[in-house]
Amino acid sequence: MPTPEPQASKLGDAFKLRDGTVVDHLPAGTAARALGLLKLPREGPVTVGMNVPSTRHGKKDIVRVEGLVLKKAELDRLALLGRQITVSIVRGGMVTHKQVLEVPEQVEGILICPNPTCITRGESVSTVFHRQGDYPYRFRCHHCERVMAGEAAQRSLAQ
Amino acid sequence: MNEAAGPRRNPFRARSLVSAEDVSREDLLWILDQAQAFEGVASGERVLPRPLPLEGKLLALLFFEPSTRTRLSFESAMQRLGGGVLGFADAKISSSSKGESLADTVRVVAAYGDAIVLRHPLEGAARLAAEVAGVPVLNAGDGSNQHPTQTLLDLYTIRRATGRLDGLTITFMGDLRYGRTVHSLATALLHFDVRMQFVGPAGLKLPDDLRQGLLASGRVAVEVTDLAGISATDVLYVTRIQKERFPDPADYERVRTSYRIDRAAVERFGDTLKILHPLPRVNEVDADVDAHPGALYFQQVRNGVTVRMALLNAVLAGRGI
Repeated sequence: MPTPEPQASKLGDAFKLRDGTVVDHLPAGTAARALGLLKLPREGPVTVGMNVPSTRHGKKDIVRVEGLVLKKAELDRLALLGRQITVSIVRGGMVTHKQVLEVPEQVEGILICPNPTCITRGESVSTVFHRQGDYPYRFRCHHCERVMAGEAAQRSLAQ
Repeated sequence: MNEAAGPRRNPFRARSLVSAEDVSREDLLWILDQAQAFEGVASGERVLPRPLPLEGKLLALLFFEPSTRTRLSFESAMQRLGGGVLGFADAKISSSSKGESLADTVRVVAAYGDAIVLRHPLEGAARLAAEVAGVPVLNAGDGSNQHPTQTLLDLYTIRRATGRLDGLTITFMGDLRYGRTVHSLATALLHFDVRMQFVGPAGLKLPDDLRQGLLASGRVAVEVTDLAGISATDVLYVTRIQKERFPDPADYERVRTSYRIDRAAVERFGDTLKILHPLPRVNEVDADVDAHPGALYFQQVRNGVTVRMALLNAVLAGRGI
């Protein structure tokens, strides 16, 4: 367990969380997609930063969600939006856990196969895709064996 | 039999066969060796000693798409091995017409048979079936994806006719995009030291992901749209140009004659050329090719029973011959 550290915010103190989750280093322009994938807002406050200056990427998007800890399936969805997205858990205003998201080798239940004649499009069956190659990854449908590029995978994320 | 290497465990025992990708070179050679032991049985020249190896076993045939050769050859193979068959050859008479899912149909039929042979119009159907059935599932064609038992008989036919699988140049001609026999065979040939050449109309080229994999292997020598672009080949694997795939009938009319071979077209490849076709043919192979010494498509049909006997025996009896 890392030592809790204060939140760093380029958005100012008004955007700091008490308890919740910060999704940082989203590629610029993907915040709205992230909100959709996470079905936000739910109950608590959500703040969004778009085109925030970033030393690493030039600019980035940030989503802060008060009172919510994301589940693994939700993190797997977010991971498909870009590389080196970070998720920080905030407790009592301090970051207690931080992780860089990675696309799992096997992506289950969150992508729709783009092949209209894949069995997963005709049957009520959870999709499984196998990650291939380096970023931007390609994804191979476990069932129909078709391969789609990373951009296509982002487009086919099940809402 | 591969006696030099000694007896090898049966790699197909109680196992599904869904894709050519699931089979290693060693497994392919093992099953082709096994098939040799069944030579002559399909044609009635030999009778297997009793008790027959699959007596008391039942094979369920689920054909959601039309089939003549594949279905009948599985039936023939199973019955010659002493087993029985059940199932349907028309999806309209199955509960799928009432809205039952494929997964449920497969689970139900698995209670009636020791293995399932499945043909289905949707890609990935066999993979799904294999994961829910609890008994081995043999893919007899899933949409335009795979047809691995056709691949086994194609490889068997090529090896039987040429004596080898390495060192050959194999030319595929016809519908490269939707032809599942092409996809399966090309995938399996990656296990062998071959040169592959592809002849097909612009709109029916290989699926991009399969093509990329083949190109990366370094085994693709030529891709052309006309057989005239091929200077030499050991094997010519012809498939039907599928009229139903063309949105515009005029496009089909334009290409169909380009993919029709006659005796004159194949003479230039010499007498040692082997010509394969998974059948049915429509007009892409002229009847005058049938007399060519290398025309093997009806031999393929016979080999289909031989190879499927070997496969069923391996999957269900669990022992080699």
